[in-house]
Amino acid sequence: MFDVDENADRNGRRILWMSLCGLGIIMILGAITGLLSAHMSEGGGPLNIASYTVLAALMSGTLLLAFVIWKLFRQMKRSDQKVPQREKVYNRFFIGSFTFGGITGLVLALTGGFDETEAGLISNDAMSPTLAIILSIAIGVIAPAITLYWHKHAVDEQEEAAYRFGALIAMYAFWFIAPVWWLLWRGGMLPEVNGITLYFMTFFAATAVWFWKKYL
Amino acid sequence: MKNQLKVLRAMRNWSQADLGEHLDVSRQAVNAIETGKYDPSLPLAFKISRLFDLPIEQIFDDEFDGGKHV
Repeated sequence: MFDVDENADRNGRRILWMSLCGLGIIMILGAITGLLSAHMSEGGGPLNIASYTVLAALMSGTLLLAFVIWKLFRQMKRSDQKVPQREKVYNRFFIGSFTFGGITGLVLALTGGFDETEAGLISNDAMSPTLAIILSIAIGVIAPAITLYWHKHAVDEQEEAAYRFGALIAMYAFWFIAPVWWLLWRGGMLPEVNGITLYFMTFFAATAVWFWKKYL
Repeated sequence: MKNQLKVLRAMRNWSQADLGEHLDVSRQAVNAIETGKYDPSLPLAFKISRLFDLPIEQIFDDEFDGGKHV
């Protein structure tokens, strides 16, 4: 019985490593795309040995990280035990949200929702009004509704406490980082304060603390 | 806060997930309470007390020694 609990207890670290490996895959794929784009912009043609070597190394890295994710996922599946109803709802929401977010991002990237000059969704460049409205409704209306349902049906009091502490740290992060950045900008040492960058900083702080309190 | 949760569920041969199901909380919550990382709310403490048919102070120990410490 305690072995089952100990194994399930390692799932937090497994999720963390799987997330880091996923991030690593995204970064490596970005590097491969950048390498090929640079090659094409230089006139294309056959790749030289050095480029092939770099590409092979990057591809091997991707495969290795994918293998690690698969291994960790298998270990998580093996740690399966009777899951409380509240946790079942939670897991479905968690997987559903990630899948929906991932597919939406992929579709936006592939269908060219942005101008050719744009860096993508996370930038200050212009986007079409239709896309802006769709994304605003998704973030401003649908996401809060899902979050409300999530909090009422999936989250228990221990996780609520984790969220509260995460929110507190995020608030402190904002309170201290924003004025320091602003002062250093005034001193000519940093670029102008960027609201979206601050948003992601506080979001990351809240998420990291929530994860630590809930799983580790 | 120290507690007897691990012992009590071992007596019933329950896993953390089993206890979580009885209390309608996640396995992580049970683990956090057992390891003292999280102190349950009063309603959850009462629920635990009723589940094991024991008074709260026999399950949880706030390490209060009768007012001798400052």
